[in-house]
Order: sequence, then C-alpha cells, then structure tokens
Amino acid sequence: MELYTGVIHPLVLGVSALLALTGLITLAWAPAHRALRLLVPVTYAAVAVHTVAVVVLLLTGADADIILTLGYTVASVALLALLGIGRLGTPEAASADPDPHRPVLTRSQITRVDAASAVIVAVALAVVAWRVLVILEAAA
Amino acid sequence: MSGVARLSLVVAYAVLALAALGRSTYQIATKLSEAPVPYLVSGVSALLYLVIAVALWRRWTGVALVGTALELLGVLVVGTLGYVESSWWPDETVWTGYGSAYGWVPLLLPAIALALLLRERRARRDDAGVTPAQEGAA
Repeated sequence: MELYTGVIHPLVLGVSALLALTGLITLAWAPAHRALRLLVPVTYAAVAVHTVAVVVLLLTGADADIILTLGYTVASVALLALLGIGRLGTPEAASADPDPHRPVLTRSQITRVDAASAVIVAVALAVVAWRVLVILEAAA
Repeated sequence: MSGVARLSLVVAYAVLALAALGRSTYQIATKLSEAPVPYLVSGVSALLYLVIAVALWRRWTGVALVGTALELLGVLVVGTLGYVESSWWPDETVWTGYGSAYGWVPLLLPAIALALLLRERRARRDDAGVTPAQEGAA
C-alpha cells in the first residue's frame, strides 16, 4: 500500500498534470503536438502500472469494494482510447468510412483536437486515480 | 460547427457518459432500493450522454439538439429540486447541485453544445437560402 500511495498514485497524477499542461501548450502553440504525441505512450504506461498495482492490492487482501475499485480502474483504461482521437479525422480514416458526414480535419485541426482531448482525458484520469486512492485508503 | 469543436464535444460527452454509466450501473445494480429516483436519474443521464456523443459523431443534428436540450433541462430541474425538495433525493445524482460533483461540466457542456448546434443549424439554413418564415410556412 505504501508503494501505491507513495509512488504509483503520484506517478499517475504527475503524468496527468504533464498531459494537461502539454495539451494546453499545444492548444496555444501547435509545434508542441510532437511532445504531446510522445506523452501518449507514457500515459499508457502509467495507467498500465496503476492498473497492475490496483489488481495486486485487491488480490493481496485490500478490503476494498472490488466492483467499485475495478470499475474506476477499467474506466481509466477506457479513457486512453480518447487520447489522440484526432486520428479519426485524417483524410485516410475518413476515406475508409462510407459516412458522408464524417469530419475530415486539416493538420492544424487534428493538433487542436488532440490537445483538447488530452486536457479532458488528463483531468478525468486524475479524478479516477483520486477516487481509487480514496477507496483503497478507506479499506486500509 | 467546426470539426475541432465537434470532436472535442464528442470526447467530453464520451468521458461524461463513461463516468455516469459506471456510477449509475454500480448504484442500480447494488443499492437501487435505497434511493431509486436519484439512481435512475443518473442512469437516464448516462444514456443521454451516450446518445448525444453518438449523435454528434454521426452528425445527427436533430437528435443532438433534442438530447442537449433535455440534458440542460434535466440539470436545471434536478439541480433546483435538490435545493427546494431535498427530501426527494436521499443520494446524489450526476445533476445534483447543477453537476457540482463533476465541476459543473454537466451544466456548462449542454449550454456550449446547444449554442454551437443552433449556430450550425442557422448557418445551414442561410446556406440553403431558407428564411425562418419560409420554413414555418412549409
């Protein structure tokens, strides 16, 4: 539990803060999109470590509500699908879809969509991590 | 509505749908009898968020307009009733306190989405050269 509260939870919060900050910078300054794209796999890794840690804690006797804890953990994984969602607006992606209303974005628009989604996902990830911490601490 | 605004709204609604779906599914599955009204309201709001996210993505403007209008109405009614008749709400819903537990996003988001959708509808009408009077007569 000490490892979770001392290292893993702060790691997720730190990555979320970095993601939100980079997203905001990208909204104002498009070249930062490169850094944002590099941050996506880092976020994946942080969420993966967090997920494994929560599962291990539950398996090793943490007396937390399993459905609630796993629900929040699954939600954090599901949020990752929304990172880099601008890829759905590329001309290649749109040409593969028969839907005539599918948005086709320019490069700068893809950058802004990615930045906005990064900020939203970062906030949601931080909230989910905080909720999991509250549940686990209450059970400890 | 620009592609950027549309996709950003889809992401925001998808996150809200995920949050509300998780919360309401757990509450309805484990303790519905304790507070049926709040938990069912949360369930309805979750479904509404999902429908709006899909409608925005598929560009079903009419569905998105009705959905966001219902959502705004729901937030205002439930938020107000929470203060006026607090005994009706033994537990919180997504819309309690005008969505304060979710950073008031449930109140702000439909207002923004409605404004953008109405602007888009007006722009489409202008492009087609149809005046509101003509539309009403038809």
